Amino acid sequence: MKRIEEQTYYEILEISPTATLKEIQRAYERSKETFQSDSVAIYSLFSEEEIEKIQTAIEEAYRVLMEETLRKDYDRSYYQEHSEVKQEKPPELKAISREKKESLSFTELSIEMGEVTYRGKTMKQIRERMGVELKAISAETKISQRVLEWIEEETLEKLPSIVYLKGFLKGYAQFLNLDPQKVVSGYLQFISEKKKK
Amino acid sequence: MGVRVVLVDADLGGANLHTFFGISPPTLSLSDYMKKRVSHLHHVLIPTAVPNLQLLSGAQDLLNAADAKNQQKRKLLRSIQSLEGDYILVDLGAGNSLGVLDFFLMSDGGILVVTPEPTSIENAYRFLKSAFYRKLRQSVPSHSVKSLIDGIMDGKNELGIRSPHDLIQAARRINEEDARRIEEEAETFHPNLILNQVRSKKDIEIGFSIRSACQKYFGIHVHYLGYVVYDQDVCHSIRRRRPLVLENARSKAAQCVMEIASKLANRQQTSFTF
Repeated sequence: MKRIEEQTYYEILEISPTATLKEIQRAYERSKETFQSDSVAIYSLFSEEEIEKIQTAIEEAYRVLMEETLRKDYDRSYYQEHSEVKQEKPPELKAISREKKESLSFTELSIEMGEVTYRGKTMKQIRERMGVELKAISAETKISQRVLEWIEEETLEKLPSIVYLKGFLKGYAQFLNLDPQKVVSGYLQFISEKKKK
Repeated sequence: MGVRVVLVDADLGGANLHTFFGISPPTLSLSDYMKKRVSHLHHVLIPTAVPNLQLLSGAQDLLNAADAKNQQKRKLLRSIQSLEGDYILVDLGAGNSLGVLDFFLMSDGGILVVTPEPTSIENAYRFLKSAFYRKLRQSVPSHSVKSLIDGIMDGKNELGIRSPHDLIQAARRINEEDARRIEEEAETFHPNLILNQVRSKKDIEIGFSIRSACQKYFGIHVHYLGYVVYDQDVCHSIRRRRPLVLENARSKAAQCVMEIASKLANRQQTSFTF
């Protein structure tokens, strides 16, 4: 049992030390949502001061783990101090990775659309943090690189019709391992608000 | 799934599981066993419309069985443990009375059913804290550490202990061995969680968030077994006094329940180390 200050960045985000950038991004978003001050899931469990401490730890873990050099330095310094961790995952992480394999299916439900979180700039920022080129996404998803650029630059007049745009956003989100529904609803809401202005 | 299940209605103050099965209040119930009118608990078992499922009906008398003496409750606990069946499901009443906590703690994997609302979540955390600290209390011999744990249940305790971490630090100052015992005992506490009446994807995700929150607060791993969607078919089946999976097995809620049941059954077959 460790205090938040004693946990590794991987434990804070509840990910494995070998997590990819996509996994870190996803874990960060989930942690951030969980530990928002008004989150229902933590209601009555923590004091305001404790929540603030956890939020700071999450931001710091994300900042370091998303930056290749900082992460390498962190891993090196951490593993030098705790060489046994390198050989075996902490028990709590073992349990988490075991559970992730049996993830819950959301598909059969009627689902409310999430909040507006994703716009072109956000997508670009996430992609750049992951160090992925648009060319690579285009090759993988078969979405034209130009369309991806328009999505990121929010060039509304050049974007394809909504039907196609939804499909492109979904493919792009899946590549970045983001929730496709959140991305599509967030982006469409963003462009509809921008058009009104 | 072909497994033998015994369903025990241990909501001692409000037993009504028989109604879900369309069974009239049984002539024999837990009360008869507790009052020694029958010698063995299996004499009280009644069959249900579901194959391989037997029901042990809760107390039916007007005097509140929840007030039964501790000794009687302990005897009941032992007798339930000795019932024959592949699975024994014990339905507990709400609240965090000592009787409910002990039933929960005796299980191989206690399951909390929570709805995605602040009131329900608040109660769930209150229950988890009570069960967690009771488990820790039972693990230590020293009276001073036991009183320390009693103190933590009082949110305004003078020692400023607010969390399990604080408790371990304080216990270490009194007795190093007990502090180690507490840490070990805490690691064996792995409750399960089911989110009930979910209406959106956001609701479903609350389960994962509760899991994270418990990891940060208690340092424990809560297993999120799954969710059951809000479904009018549940109300209809209760009104018709038929189990949902028989009344409408294709309803969304029934599908969710079956998914959770199969997950539990598969896990039991591999191992029950949550």
